[in-house]
Amino acid sequence: MKWYTRFDWTLFLSWLLLSLIGLVAIYSATQGPQHQDTFIAGNFFRQVIHLGAGLVVIIVMQFISPRTYVQLTWLLYGLCLFIALLTVFFGIEVGGEKNWLNVFGFRLQISEFMKIATIMALASYLSNQRNLSAQDFKTVAVIGFIIALPVAFITLHGDTGTSLVYIALIPFILFWAGMSYGVSLLMVAPAIFAYLTVVNIYAAAASVVIITFAIFMLEKRPGLTLVGFVVGVVMVIGVNMALTDVLQPHQRARVEAFVNPQVDPQGAGWNVIQAKTAISSGGLYGKGFMQGTQTQLRFLPEQQTDFIYCVISEEFGFVGAGVVLLLFLVMLSRLLFIAATHKHPYARILMIGVASVFLIHVMVNLGMATALLPVIGIPLPLISYGGSSFLSFSIMIGLCLNFYFYERDFSIYAS
Amino acid sequence: MPIKDRNTQHARTAVIVLQLLVASVFVILFGRLIYLQVFQYDIYSPISERNSIRQQTVNPARGLIFDRHGDLIVGNEPSFTITITPLSFDMSTIPLLAELTLTEQENIEALVLQARTYSLHRESRLLRDVDFKVFSNIQENLWRLPGINHQVEGKRSYPSDARLSHALGYLAEVTRNEMNASPHYRLGDLIGRSGLERIYEDDLRGSKGTQFVTVNAFGRSLGPFSGGALDVNPGKGVDIHTTLDIGLQRIAEELLEGKVGGVVALNPKTGGILAIASTPDYDNERLAGQLDRDYWVSVNTDSLTPLFNRAVATTQPPGSTTKPMMGLIGMRLGIIDENTTVHCAGGYQRGRFYRCLRHHGTINIVEAIETSCNTFFYWMMDQIVNRFGLNVWTQMMNDFGMGVRTDIDLSGEVRGVIPDSSYFDRAFGVRQWGLGDMINLGIGQGAMGASPLQMATAVSVIANNGYRVQPSVVERVAYEDGAVEIIRPDPERVDWLQPGDLEAIQRGMRLAVTEGSGRFYANIRDVAVAGKTGTAQNPHGQNHGWFISYAPYDDPEIAIAVLLQNAGYGSTTAAPIAGMMYEYYFHGEILRPHVYQMMLDFEPAPFNPNRN
Repeated sequence: MKWYTRFDWTLFLSWLLLSLIGLVAIYSATQGPQHQDTFIAGNFFRQVIHLGAGLVVIIVMQFISPRTYVQLTWLLYGLCLFIALLTVFFGIEVGGEKNWLNVFGFRLQISEFMKIATIMALASYLSNQRNLSAQDFKTVAVIGFIIALPVAFITLHGDTGTSLVYIALIPFILFWAGMSYGVSLLMVAPAIFAYLTVVNIYAAAASVVIITFAIFMLEKRPGLTLVGFVVGVVMVIGVNMALTDVLQPHQRARVEAFVNPQVDPQGAGWNVIQAKTAISSGGLYGKGFMQGTQTQLRFLPEQQTDFIYCVISEEFGFVGAGVVLLLFLVMLSRLLFIAATHKHPYARILMIGVASVFLIHVMVNLGMATALLPVIGIPLPLISYGGSSFLSFSIMIGLCLNFYFYERDFSIYAS
Repeated sequence: MPIKDRNTQHARTAVIVLQLLVASVFVILFGRLIYLQVFQYDIYSPISERNSIRQQTVNPARGLIFDRHGDLIVGNEPSFTITITPLSFDMSTIPLLAELTLTEQENIEALVLQARTYSLHRESRLLRDVDFKVFSNIQENLWRLPGINHQVEGKRSYPSDARLSHALGYLAEVTRNEMNASPHYRLGDLIGRSGLERIYEDDLRGSKGTQFVTVNAFGRSLGPFSGGALDVNPGKGVDIHTTLDIGLQRIAEELLEGKVGGVVALNPKTGGILAIASTPDYDNERLAGQLDRDYWVSVNTDSLTPLFNRAVATTQPPGSTTKPMMGLIGMRLGIIDENTTVHCAGGYQRGRFYRCLRHHGTINIVEAIETSCNTFFYWMMDQIVNRFGLNVWTQMMNDFGMGVRTDIDLSGEVRGVIPDSSYFDRAFGVRQWGLGDMINLGIGQGAMGASPLQMATAVSVIANNGYRVQPSVVERVAYEDGAVEIIRPDPERVDWLQPGDLEAIQRGMRLAVTEGSGRFYANIRDVAVAGKTGTAQNPHGQNHGWFISYAPYDDPEIAIAVLLQNAGYGSTTAAPIAGMMYEYYFHGEILRPHVYQMMLDFEPAPFNPNRN
């Protein structure tokens, strides 16, 4: 078979297209006349280098046997943890977050690369178990531990947004590793309860009833159902109390800004309103490249990173924003499809992990940009500006491409 | 079921569940996109436009004021203003703002609050007429001060030598009521409060322009929106050309300094005001721009009321200066003619003895005016009220412009008092007044009051052979498009005045200057001045000195009325001022500097502030 028939073009092209769209958006967000002489003016050029580097890395990665990656897993995991530890002490502090490490002039954000190492570590651990099952406590504990270590470091860095991604990864992995449906549902239920309590307390109350009922239907275990119900009630009441009593004023302002941005349009509500305005005013076809007033006049905060999707939506409208969504959908579907069909368990878990991380990022970032979720600062994969995050996501894709490319050879040597 | 199978089954289901999850997440995001970009487009599109385009008011330059030679009296000079748009303003920058503007923090807070109450969205002035250092401070730190902006505006400047305080008037910030009443005003706009600035406010203020500028998220202006196509240019205020003569004005002001009184000089043929002064006055310059609060308070609380324009607003008994008018009334009513004589034995006996200044002997009207005999006019007033009634006299006096408004284009004018029967009824009660109250009126005493402006108008009627002129300061208003509006209506003939009668009175007034009380100071070289002095007794201290006059006698160009309150004899206090003004007007210089110096040094009796 010719090499190019074994290569996963769908995955690669969606990676390339998304990266190019990201470049266009970053150009628009940083090269307008209003952005000259600002610190973000050089971002476009740097992102071009990131893209070039990403392309080279992906290509080079294809010449390495997948077994090498499997063997290197724990070394990488340890190395990342070590660098994360170094970052705690020697990191550069930017805006209250200390998650950059200066390496030979480059700013390395280890929390991004840590995602790959963590997924690989999880894949390695789970694929070496004879009987994959999250039903027994030991498996759950080890998975929890593998994820908890990076979370601890990243939390020490002050980057709560990124640690949230790791935590959100837990139910995905556990679920795939064989945790029962009911328990999995119970794991994600608190997040749903909390979110709905902030948005609408009645919807939250309704969700408690529905989810409790669903757990009962899935498991038929009265004890678990009771736990689900109690968790639900405690979450709804607890979050509600936290909103009114426990949270610091600025934290509460942020939550309130999400629910009702008009209360403080110049303060906490600013991001929400400006992002919404940017997306909405783009309309069907957008205002045109470099023509978005929200973008060009710097109404959008963090427009080259966290709010990059608003730039695309404003300047290219529903058409442009829809294309981006579609490309992500294609990419994720493809990943899940390979994950379901791949013969090697390590590759399967790795792809599930990569898909999960992409999904979490897309969900949270776009949810935030479209004002469905509170503002949580995590990048949109491949599109947001940022070397570490771009390379990290590219390496994930590179790994998946590699495992797919060598699927046959790889399977022979493994179980 | 083998464990392995069960696991495979579970993994397969897990993938399906994940795929479903992915699908639902994307369905939600797609739905959200459609909702925002298609259904809410109409809501947010205008918001994004408003976000980036700001409407700014461009204030017009206020109209200029010129004197009759075309010299600038009131101009504009640049003034630096700090403005605020409360919506974008960040309250936490108040300390920084206070530091940069060298102002108290509480002061800034109060001003911000005021601007907020006015409008959250509109740009208001925060600090007016700041000095250049503060202005550049703000300019440099603009990026740290959202919602703060700066602009260069005009403020009034007064380049001429004359002060002209009352005639020009001052500007002050509009009140809330004025803002509500007119669409022309915004918070912090200046409006003419007195004088020409007030009367010609509609012309002078011009029209506001609008500028659409693109702004970034920090409210910083980035230049015109769509090349300025939507902008409306401000309409410059209309220039005003007055009949004022700055040189003459300057002399009047200098000579009045330190005294209380008013001077009006006008062209008796047209009514155009050549000079109009009132003292004490104030410095317009110090009320322009950022209000000098201490000065404003001192001007307002001064017992000598500097804001009060005595030239048009005081009401003082005119004394003997009414005698020329009395003569004309007497001749018209047939009580006297030019040759009718009256014997003055030092006074007039009617119920009680009305004193004259001295024993004049047998005199006619011309001599009575020349020597200012009281007896003649006591007798005549007695005749008038007995044979024709008081109200006939009142109406005829009104025809000279006394006891009525002249409708001059200045603020604060009063009617003065020329009593009729109903006035006395009101003042003293019905049948509580009598002949004694009326005979006094014959010599301009008692319940009678006039302003220098009214006396100047009255003397003009005599000077120009019976025409009532409308006094006015502004000659024409020159609009941008070249249209010119002439302010003054044509003089109106007072139909009952006979040329012969006028000639006799004019002769009397000429004699009063050459032979009578005006001979010391008002009789100037080469030009024939006619006039009448007055020394008005008043219950509030020393006599007021009056002098009304015109020149040249045969073809008058200028009429002057001078009032010096509590200064004593009109012949020695008021007449020299007019004399100096005539010398300047006709000869271009002061011919008798010793008289000028004498008037500069002259100090009247202390002014009684209880009566203006």
